[in-house]
Amino acid sequence: MRIRGFLQLVTAQATMLRRNTGFWLSSIIVAVVSILVFGWLFNPDTRPFDLAIVDEDGSEPALSLVAAFESVDNVDVTGGGRDSELSSLEEGERAAVLIIPEGFGAALAEGEASVLAFYDNSDLIRVGYVTTTVSAVISAFNEDISGGAPAVTLDARSVSTENTRYIDFLIPGMVGMAIMYINLGVGFMLVTWREQGVLRRLGVTPLRPSNLILSQAVSFSVVSLVQVVIILGLGNLVFDVSINGSFAWLAVTVALGIATMLAIGYLIGSFLHTPTAVNAVINAVAFPMIFLGGSYFPLETPSALTPLVEAIPLTHINEALREVVNGSGELGDLWVSWAALGAWIVLGFTASVRAFRWQ
Amino acid sequence: MMAIAEVKPANAEADSGREPVLEVAGLTKRYGKLTAVDGISFAVPRGETFGLLGPNGAGKTTTLEMIEGLRSPDAGQITLLGKDAVKQRRAVQERIGVQLQSQTLWAELTVEETLKLFAALFRKPVPIQPLMERFSLNEKRRALVRGLSGGQKQRLSIATALVNDPDIIFLDEPTTGLDPSARQSFWDLIRELQADGKTVIVTTHYMEEAEVLCDRVAIMDRGQIMALDTPRQLVRGLSFDSTVECGFSGTVPPGTLEALPAVREVKSVDSAFILFTDDVAAALAGLMEIRDDAGQRVKSLHVRTATLEDVFISHTGRRLGD
Repeated sequence: MRIRGFLQLVTAQATMLRRNTGFWLSSIIVAVVSILVFGWLFNPDTRPFDLAIVDEDGSEPALSLVAAFESVDNVDVTGGGRDSELSSLEEGERAAVLIIPEGFGAALAEGEASVLAFYDNSDLIRVGYVTTTVSAVISAFNEDISGGAPAVTLDARSVSTENTRYIDFLIPGMVGMAIMYINLGVGFMLVTWREQGVLRRLGVTPLRPSNLILSQAVSFSVVSLVQVVIILGLGNLVFDVSINGSFAWLAVTVALGIATMLAIGYLIGSFLHTPTAVNAVINAVAFPMIFLGGSYFPLETPSALTPLVEAIPLTHINEALREVVNGSGELGDLWVSWAALGAWIVLGFTASVRAFRWQ
Repeated sequence: MMAIAEVKPANAEADSGREPVLEVAGLTKRYGKLTAVDGISFAVPRGETFGLLGPNGAGKTTTLEMIEGLRSPDAGQITLLGKDAVKQRRAVQERIGVQLQSQTLWAELTVEETLKLFAALFRKPVPIQPLMERFSLNEKRRALVRGLSGGQKQRLSIATALVNDPDIIFLDEPTTGLDPSARQSFWDLIRELQADGKTVIVTTHYMEEAEVLCDRVAIMDRGQIMALDTPRQLVRGLSFDSTVECGFSGTVPPGTLEALPAVREVKSVDSAFILFTDDVAAALAGLMEIRDDAGQRVKSLHVRTATLEDVFISHTGRRLGD
């Protein structure tokens, strides 16, 4: 097929998509409304958290440091032995454990002392708030005793260096969700075309199924990209969510995400016969993916569910997007998600090209 | 008596000397136990308008779909423009134009966008502008297909079949569901195509349409071609020239109607009898003498010149519309 002909095919399909307002508007509206609601009205960041302070020193300065934490509203301070508190942390019962080591008071009298902090990293959103709060309390404590010189330093263990707010977590999740919704819709379009007979009409022209699928993929990608730009733009302009990783890896991740969802959309469209059935299956597939894939909230999965969560393509889209947007976006952290998406793409497109029927 | 609506032009007789652009031999399609198309053969020379006439389910559409490349035959050969239509499907599809039975256009595209889209699928498309002018679509070029009238959609649909300047045009039941005036203007469009020297293959279950449009007609029933000739020869080939359709309130002793003078054949269709005769006056005179079991004369009577419909009835014992 000539390139010009192919581009005309893409343009015509993008035009159809654009005029099908309900189709692309619904997914972007869900994402934007979610962002506005969670970004402004309901912010789960500042929930109180449990902090265990293990005071192994017991000196006067150590007690006043404990008192400083107790005076903060959002911190519920508990105490206990080092080992028992650390195992509580591992079980997820504490957000953080602060250890004031023996000799803290003496070292502070010399001018400089350190405390040890362990954080629960499993909750990506809360750990940001917890680390910020702990650092802030210690800064204030330093301000009190030495006028701001770093008398007490914080030795933080097992903590990501990023300061992730909930909105930082939500934006990539909404990008993933929008990518999923619009591109699964290709299955709906395929079945509608088959039912209306327009696929039959195309079947008596020299058009190859692979060219049709490719041109649909490109036109859906264009519409999907516009949505991604809108969501990321909203996040950046209104909520100051910046992209930490490289734009190149972001582009690769978005492209793989789009291709994965198109492949699944085709898979659904190739094996079902009515638009109603396709709609039902898309919803039945999309809702579990949104929750198990962690679009809105980080999921602490029971280990029995882990294989399922790992099999869900949206999990990998979200993970890779968050790695690029929130994390550092290193290739070493991305390739596992990319590989999982690649597997879905190969599987989905191979099966759908084989099962393709004009009528 | 009903007159045949139009008399075919002089080229109505098939000219076997012209090269065939379509040759079908032993074409067969089965769906499970049902044989939809049962070993049919025919050839169509360039420039001919060839009709497949038959009731719904006769196998007309399946035949077209195999020729167009939508279904693969279970047996038989299709040679289109000198190429094997099954093995060289795409090469053949470059050179054919197709209008399918159902309205198959995208509601969200404009007239112009629709034609551009179809043109993009072929290697050698024709310019869109003259096509729109020819089919009186120029004023509607920016209108969405959704808002077009039935006749406009029909014209656009045919225009999409012509974007590649095809050698052969296939039209499947093109006037089903059109009102009489839209049907009339559609026939005018086909005559333009004929004037351009295009080969047209058309399926229909309207006897009148086949008589008006087609150079030759194949009458199909249950997957087979029952008869194939020019409409005039098909009718002439009958052993009668008129039909007398009659009904009685009661029952008539069997064999009574068959024994009437000049009656060649009697078919019982629904509750009526159809008498085929070559002497209407003699047949009617005889018919007037007949009484049913209650002593009543003939109750309903309809006399007409033999048509293609009678050719179908004489072959199948059923009406086309059934």
